[in-house]
Amino acid sequence: MPPMEPPERFRPMLRAGGSRFSRDAAARPILVFEGVHKSYGHGLPVLRGMDLVIERGEFVFVTGPSGAGKSTLLRLLYRAELVDDGRILFLGRDVARLRDDAVPFLRRNLGIVFQDFKLVTSWTVYENIAIVLEVIGLPQRLVRTRVAEVLERVGLAGRGEDRAGVLSGGEQQRVAIARAIVGEPALILADEPTGNLDPQLAVDILGLFGEIHETGATVLFATHDRTLLDVRPRRVVVLDGGRAMDVPEGVADEYDNRLPL
Amino acid sequence: MRGLVREWRLHVLSVCSLIVAFACLGAALLAVVNLGALQQRWAHAGRASVYLKDNANERDVQALHDALLLVPHIVGVRYVSSTEARTEFGQREVEMHGDLAGLPVDAFPASLEIDVAQDLSDAELGDIVHKMRELPSVDDVETYRSWTDRLAKLLSGGVVAAVVLTVVVLGAVLAVVGSTMRLALQRRRIEVEVLKFVGATDAFVRKPFVLEGTVEGAAGALGAVILLASLFFLIRGRVEPEVAGLVGMAPSFLPWPVACGLIAFGAVLGALAALLSVRQLGSP
Repeated sequence: MPPMEPPERFRPMLRAGGSRFSRDAAARPILVFEGVHKSYGHGLPVLRGMDLVIERGEFVFVTGPSGAGKSTLLRLLYRAELVDDGRILFLGRDVARLRDDAVPFLRRNLGIVFQDFKLVTSWTVYENIAIVLEVIGLPQRLVRTRVAEVLERVGLAGRGEDRAGVLSGGEQQRVAIARAIVGEPALILADEPTGNLDPQLAVDILGLFGEIHETGATVLFATHDRTLLDVRPRRVVVLDGGRAMDVPEGVADEYDNRLPL
Repeated sequence: MRGLVREWRLHVLSVCSLIVAFACLGAALLAVVNLGALQQRWAHAGRASVYLKDNANERDVQALHDALLLVPHIVGVRYVSSTEARTEFGQREVEMHGDLAGLPVDAFPASLEIDVAQDLSDAELGDIVHKMRELPSVDDVETYRSWTDRLAKLLSGGVVAAVVLTVVVLGAVLAVVGSTMRLALQRRRIEVEVLKFVGATDAFVRKPFVLEGTVEGAAGALGAVILLASLFFLIRGRVEPEVAGLVGMAPSFLPWPVACGLIAFGAVLGALAALLSVRQLGSP
């Protein structure tokens, strides 16, 4: 286990020395995995010395067969798990070395979308989205404005007062996406976001992520759904044998028959 | 406060349990407050009764009466003859339907009722009493100290009971509020999970639970105060004349500072219990 870093809050390294903004720092990759090892109790490593670099503004598919480590990779990034070895540099900071009380501040720079939506069904749509901004202490006036904007972006304008539990699966995932982007995070993580949706809805949701990406967001989209990879050419990273195989454009033929349709 | 409103049934049940616990403590405090007031009343009653011998003649009694008036701190002396004493006693007994109304006059000695100043110390009063007992016409002197000593013992017992009940209430509040919060935490685990995913600190997640615990504790104590007050004023109307006649003062309810202190105590205990219950939120 790597030693813990002293700082109490997660501060992105956008400044390289002194207090002036550094263009070099801003041009660095947003996410770097260096020699990341992770195994679980049964001893078989899920990630073995994995290296991966994600540049700012990229849209990256992370794919691979079941058990390849897609979800593990994302969980390591938002510190639901700890690496056994290696470094994960997010905005220049080693995530693995953050203290536990700095993890909330890391997550405020991330937008996370889950396969099972993870909405509070007893809350309204508005409350599910607004909580992101209430956590960071924004005044209610600003919260109302920002929530209305993102609801419109995801195609749910005027649905703020509906209880989340009565929405359809696709609508709930849109609410989850709205929650992920309302805080304007540096990186959006999507862990099988279309896993519980029918194929058409899955494509719609992917399209929504594409629109969000076009505004400049960096998106890391984990999926085992082969069909989504063909919707639009994107960078694809395949996890295989605990390592990341970068396929800059589309999925290489050698992996084609190992991914489910 | 969303959780408080959405799970109001759970919280109402907890508050009812807390009302019972705080009512026990409140009752003990009520007893302590009244015993303390009674002790104060009799400790500074400023009275003594000098019982005269049957063979004390009028001249000796008048001389003693005049001499007592000259003693510092004695502000008044009143002679009560046997007949007058019998009459006063008989009237009270008849009013109270007592069985002693038929006692003869001989059973009531004449006395000098002395009013002493409030600032007279116990030691000085004891000295006066000791000297009076040596006078030939004096049979006995009653300063009612035995009553105040008994009251002081009762008061001490009441204070001990109140302390013990405080500990019991502390345990009850911790158990009830703690269980309620743990149950609420379990029922709202999705909320907690989501809060942690969106970057809420542990303090932010704990805040609503601590607030709910505070409200529960305060509501329990307030409910107990209202319950006690209702019972007190209901019963007082029926027994006040008898109690006042017996002990010389009417019973009183908890003073406002004590009642408010009890409610504040409940709030603090509730907050503490909630904080202890949700201190380990874990990580998703």
